[in-house]
Amino acid sequence: MIYGDKNTGVIVQGATGRQGSFHINLMNEYARSVGGRGVVAGVTPGRGGQEVQGVPVYNTVKEALAEHDASASVLFVPARAAGDSIMEAASAGLELVVAITEHIPVHDAMRAIAYAHYCGCAVIGPNCPGLLSPGEQKLGIMPAHLASRGRVGVISRSGTLTYEVVDELTRAGIGQSTVVGIGGDPVIGQTFSDVLARFEEDPETDAVVVIGEVGGNLEEEGVRSTDLPLVAYIAGVTAPPNKRMGHAGAIIEGGEGDAGSKIRRLKDLGVPVASRPSEIPEFVRELL
Amino acid sequence: MKLLEYEAKQIFSEEGIRVPRGVLVGRDDSLPPVTDTIGDSVVVKAQVDVGGRGKAGGVLMADAGTLGETARNLLSAEIKGVPVLKVLIEERLPIEHEYYVSITIDRSKKETVILFADTGGVDIEETARTNPDAIRSVGICPLLPDIPGFLQRELCGSAPAEVRDAVNRLYHVFCAKDALLAEINPLVTTPQGVYAADAKLIIDDNSLARQGITVNRDLTEREKEAEKHGFSYVELDGTIGVIGNGAGLTMATLDLIDHFRGRAANFLDVGGGADQERVCHAVRLVAGMPAVEVVIVNLLGGITRCDEVARGIIAADIPQPVIVRMAGTNEEEGKRLLAERGYRMLGSMDEAVRAAVEATE
Repeated sequence: MIYGDKNTGVIVQGATGRQGSFHINLMNEYARSVGGRGVVAGVTPGRGGQEVQGVPVYNTVKEALAEHDASASVLFVPARAAGDSIMEAASAGLELVVAITEHIPVHDAMRAIAYAHYCGCAVIGPNCPGLLSPGEQKLGIMPAHLASRGRVGVISRSGTLTYEVVDELTRAGIGQSTVVGIGGDPVIGQTFSDVLARFEEDPETDAVVVIGEVGGNLEEEGVRSTDLPLVAYIAGVTAPPNKRMGHAGAIIEGGEGDAGSKIRRLKDLGVPVASRPSEIPEFVRELL
Repeated sequence: MKLLEYEAKQIFSEEGIRVPRGVLVGRDDSLPPVTDTIGDSVVVKAQVDVGGRGKAGGVLMADAGTLGETARNLLSAEIKGVPVLKVLIEERLPIEHEYYVSITIDRSKKETVILFADTGGVDIEETARTNPDAIRSVGICPLLPDIPGFLQRELCGSAPAEVRDAVNRLYHVFCAKDALLAEINPLVTTPQGVYAADAKLIIDDNSLARQGITVNRDLTEREKEAEKHGFSYVELDGTIGVIGNGAGLTMATLDLIDHFRGRAANFLDVGGGADQERVCHAVRLVAGMPAVEVVIVNLLGGITRCDEVARGIIAADIPQPVIVRMAGTNEEEGKRLLAERGYRMLGSMDEAVRAAVEATE
């Protein structure tokens, strides 16, 4: 398992909100079904002393950690406060923060991720569905019933497209070791390279599906960083061209963030690229 | 959201970056006596959000005798199809040297990157292509409030200290204004000091509220309507209305429509956690385009719940057929609700997209 297992204690920040409380319940249902620990505490400033779905809520991450053994946090905090909450979790000594929140200002994300790195804390997301190691742990919002335990890792920039691919794999009889949604924002914590490095060390992963989309060059960077057998899919071939970021953006990305050229470069690196999600299982089968 | 030159210059100026003296004139304004305040030799610049404005005739030289006619002509013109509603009349600077500075975010390094060139001006993109070494760049850790001195020297080379100072001030603007891009091209030296002769600033859409910006001008009317409800929405020219959740899945749905030789009319990403009311708005918005013959809803519930989506589809009650593919959180309940009302549901994305394409043939 690449980011903890069923023994990992989990904190939920933004526990008393609509999404937080709903997903504490689903995460703990999953933890119970696999005999894991799940969410042990919630955090919402000003709501200390309450309970959500049977889980005690604290005002700060530090207070929660004084009472409970946990190493990871899942964040449902509203966008305007989410950067701050990531830093709070990192500062309190957590090893992993999974930031589900979307629409976080990119400067906040950049600062929070740099600060977390300084504290030795890995951030998954923001704007991501989190991770699922079937049979072990669920950190985030992935619909767990689509997944099945197996030996193929999945890394994706797109939340719902992850579920789509996991569903396709499961229905084709190909189980997953860990599924990681790394998030679709311009600046994210764990990138393809970071997750692939963990998969390389993971004896339970034989091959990895890389799901990318238009924009940036994180997919290529990841592919270059690993020797693992890979299959890729890139969404957005027909997407209308994005509004350009002006000179600097064009210069840095070399004008090559579009899906078509990204696919060509991945193929040049010897990675099979599926043309639609339903092709992925047969591509994976050829690798195994 | 992109700011216009005069807005960006106002912000730069508040941060202590010197900008040319200038006056903004709109279509209905009478021409103020600018020659008294900014001199006889001026530049008239169209305030339009268009790349390559100068080469397209949007930047004109004038003097006291020709200013009136030049300004009137430009104000009734279009630059690359965009009507010129405002012009900025500025003093013409006695330029000694032009530099280029641009600040943006490097996605893969997760930090700010600053680009600098000793030769600025209109041909910087050409320089980037033909002589990339002429553009230096440094990355700045997001935790630093200033560009450290050694990086200023590395970046700006032998440029005067006042140029380095202007670059650092631009970095402050970039951080304080939640910018995705802050650029001065050219940054010029004159006998009176260093000036931002042009200015570009793009604000992160996720930060508009805290920057006090209430309306995102980059959006069309329908996109604004979509944004009010928290959707990403793009109009295309086909016949299939597309609703998905998550940009990736929605884009993949478009790609698949293309694969099966159909044409999407639009796409709408309802985003995470859409409730019944938002989904209802989404369906009506997508179906409201006259060209839409069929609507496909491709939904994988995570933070979004299938039952909420089903209720939203039913409440929207649109005349066109709706083909639904849903899986994930609360899937059973969602399917039960739709089945009761006779909606067509298909098990896989391929099947659903193929059915939508067939419905338009």
